[in-house]
Amino acid sequence: MTDILRSLIGNALPDWLIVLIAYLLVTVIVLLFAVGNFIMMVWAERRVVARMQDRLGPNRVGPAGLLQPIADAVKMFTKEDIVPRTADRWVHLLAPVVSLAPVALMLAVIPWGRGWEPVDLHVAILYILAVSAVSGVGLMMAGWGSNNKFALLGAMRAVAQLVSYEIPAVISLLAIVILVGGMSLAQLPYLQAGVPLLGASIICGDPSGCASWLYSTTTLFPGSTQAPVQVLDVGLGWLVFTPVGLLGFAIFFIAALAEGERTPFDIPEADSEIVAGYMTEYSGMKFAVFYIAQYILNFTLAALAATAFLGGWQGPGVAALASMGGPWIHAAAALSAIYLLAKIWVLFFVMIWLRGAFPRLRVDQLMDFAWKLLLPLALVNIGSAALVVSITQWTGAQWGGLVNLDALTTWQRQLIAVAVSAIINGAATYWILSINQRPVLEPEARDEEWAAT
Amino acid sequence: MNTFITILFVVFAVYILVAAIMTVTVKNIVHAALWLISSFFTVGALYLLMEAEFIGVAQVLIYVGAVSILILFAIMLTRDLEGTQNRQMTPRWWIALIVPAALFGLLITPTVLTYQWQLPPPAPAGQSTPIAGAAQIGTAFVREYLLPFQVASVLLTVALIGAVVIAFEERERRRYVPTLAEKVRQQQRVRRPDPAASAMQSSETAGSET
Repeated sequence: MTDILRSLIGNALPDWLIVLIAYLLVTVIVLLFAVGNFIMMVWAERRVVARMQDRLGPNRVGPAGLLQPIADAVKMFTKEDIVPRTADRWVHLLAPVVSLAPVALMLAVIPWGRGWEPVDLHVAILYILAVSAVSGVGLMMAGWGSNNKFALLGAMRAVAQLVSYEIPAVISLLAIVILVGGMSLAQLPYLQAGVPLLGASIICGDPSGCASWLYSTTTLFPGSTQAPVQVLDVGLGWLVFTPVGLLGFAIFFIAALAEGERTPFDIPEADSEIVAGYMTEYSGMKFAVFYIAQYILNFTLAALAATAFLGGWQGPGVAALASMGGPWIHAAAALSAIYLLAKIWVLFFVMIWLRGAFPRLRVDQLMDFAWKLLLPLALVNIGSAALVVSITQWTGAQWGGLVNLDALTTWQRQLIAVAVSAIINGAATYWILSINQRPVLEPEARDEEWAAT
Repeated sequence: MNTFITILFVVFAVYILVAAIMTVTVKNIVHAALWLISSFFTVGALYLLMEAEFIGVAQVLIYVGAVSILILFAIMLTRDLEGTQNRQMTPRWWIALIVPAALFGLLITPTVLTYQWQLPPPAPAGQSTPIAGAAQIGTAFVREYLLPFQVASVLLTVALIGAVVIAFEERERRRYVPTLAEKVRQQQRVRRPDPAASAMQSSETAGSET
């Protein structure tokens, strides 16, 4: 964006102003894109859930009810803004802002397409986790500032849930950080080129004999100093196709459901228990801001899951288009953006699907699930990620003469790593699941104990 | 660009000071916590201004994301801690003023006297090396600063074990709390052999339960 502006109006304005304008433009585009997606997501969620529940859903305003979100927005804007008399005015007013702002900040580091990353931060993954933690403060402010017991209960539940599910999410992403050797999100899709399971590890032996549209040039390992090589690349080396990535994706997606307060984990706003949780006392536009924050958070978490595990914008044809050079690079960028959007919407559809299929968890079940199932699995996953890195990248000297894999080719080592991590992850998943399914006490013994008291 | 950065720095610094002063002078304790959080957040922005991305993000993650949530939880779960009617000053406030001032002076004097005030020249354009990248910090932790790192880890582990010990209930004192469905099933099971006796027993158990 900066370069385009420079070529257009580079002579008329000083350079720092051009950089500022370029970043402002990018910000506006990203925010508008997110809000546009929010409108479509609300409509899609209502229609799809209606379909699953054998209803029609909104179908009166516009074709197939498409304009319903606009009508809702008008309603929200024109509603009276009610502030309870005993509420803490400023805290009550600032809470929706504090919960929306971090979500908007998260959009900045997502790579939306090939070469379309608003900011390439070195610590992007940590940054996303950090700013998403800030929204907890907003929820606390909403719950406390409303001066309402349901709001306070909802805020307590929301923050407890946020804090517990942050840990499996962080640890599952840590496995990815170990695998790719860095925390930059913009680099992640590039590193997921190649073929399923093996990734970018099948090297073309004879550079002149390989078709250029099927092969692309990369360095084998992130941060390595080796010369770039030609690898077989169909854009499907997604981490989710490897055992470590698969387990990590499962953990991260469940944790993302909990962080975005989607249905199996919608305890903080369980309307049959605590009215609407921390949103109870909000009306009109303030309520709408909470609503927007929640949907954009879901959208961003889906984008993050897609980028970290499903290859991001990576897909068949992107690398081939980009290698043709010239204007085709823009076509590759557009295609990659479509791939990312498709992945995000598939994940969002799964979220709706879960909402249509599952009842709400209890609070103790929620905590058990995070601490007894997701956390141990995520820890095991880190171990297998480290093992994968050592099998694929260490030389015999680094192993201390214990194992020597130097004679094997890259894809053979990758295959061994996949097999070893599949065995470890499979066994650990089976074991931890079986431990968790074992009842604490036999039902009869429990009944007797209870009758004795 | 340098004046722009200086202006940003002044804005952040003034905000941090104002927020810190508000933290200790505001009467409502939740407001004090919120001012403290905003001050933490702005310190993170200062780190970002110095291009120390990792430290800036870690500041937000730990202080805003974890410590502040802990503070808010502690305030909201404690009774009668609002303290709007409590007095802010103790009679011996001047002692409280002297001790931190002396400590601060003790820390700042050697720094001011011995620090080399020549700043390193800015990196040439087009070559942006992060000053404190995550990788360098990680390497420093497991090489040069291994002992402090491990001492801190042991301290955290001790704190963790201590929290578990305090919160742990002994097995004899722990009692299974049945859900509603289990209570109903229990009552049905008791009722089945002898309807007349079970009516009494169920009312008894219900009474003891409450």
